[in-house]
Amino acid sequence: MTTQTSAMGKTKTGGRFELYAWFFTRATGILFLLMGAFNLIYANLTGGRGHLDVGAQMRWAFFPISSHVSSTSVEVTPNFANPFWQAYSFLLVAFAATHGFNGLRVILEDYVQHPLLLTWLRALLVGIWLFVLVAAAFLVFVLV
Amino acid sequence: MSRLARVTLAQALAYRGGQPMLAWLLHRISGIGIVFFVSMHVVAAFLLYSVQGTTGNVANALTDFYESTPMQVFMLFAVLYHAINGLRIVILDMWPALMPHNREAMWVQWALFLPMFLLPAALMVLGVTV
Repeated sequence: MTTQTSAMGKTKTGGRFELYAWFFTRATGILFLLMGAFNLIYANLTGGRGHLDVGAQMRWAFFPISSHVSSTSVEVTPNFANPFWQAYSFLLVAFAATHGFNGLRVILEDYVQHPLLLTWLRALLVGIWLFVLVAAAFLVFVLV
Repeated sequence: MSRLARVTLAQALAYRGGQPMLAWLLHRISGIGIVFFVSMHVVAAFLLYSVQGTTGNVANALTDFYESTPMQVFMLFAVLYHAINGLRIVILDMWPALMPHNREAMWVQWALFLPMFLLPAALMVLGVTV
């Protein structure tokens, strides 16, 4: 990769990981928009219309899990407790966590100057990220 | 790895970056907010349900907090702003030739964001079922 000097006078070397992280952020960002629209449209086509307040519509668009509409009169468990929706939900939350924690890493690298501290903070982020993934897998596959 | 510019807080507050700085700042703040809320939400549900199941005072109090109007309006703002601003960033990254139109794109962005935020937010405050 070439080394280029940005407008702020910093020297930046592009690495493979940074390229993949950059691409992943863009690709999953578009995917979240499509998934949110799909969640909203599908829920309203399959019986949600007229039973969901705006907050429940919003929560369901963000993430389709039965506890997000448990305060409404919609019965979703029979429709959504199947492997397709479990895999779909887990992919959504896993991509979201990865997108978010990668974003936190980028912000940390902007502000933390001490290399050793940065290494430890990165390790901490990886630890929290993995814990969130395990917790999400439990909620999606075990609890439904 | 970047190097911090040495500026005082007063200088930072006086810096007039205008629309692009506001977009950058809101994107960062909303992103941090979403990561913290979603991680807290997932981990809290995991710990709670694995300890005492789906009922209990703590679970009810947390649900009341999540479904309270201010919290929902705040999350709608953060996620919607992050989504629409992120879409602008993706489009300008994919077609760099559009970069001279960045300023106009930001006004288009507000024209999309404001109705998409204000209408559901007003309905949530009024408690309407759609």
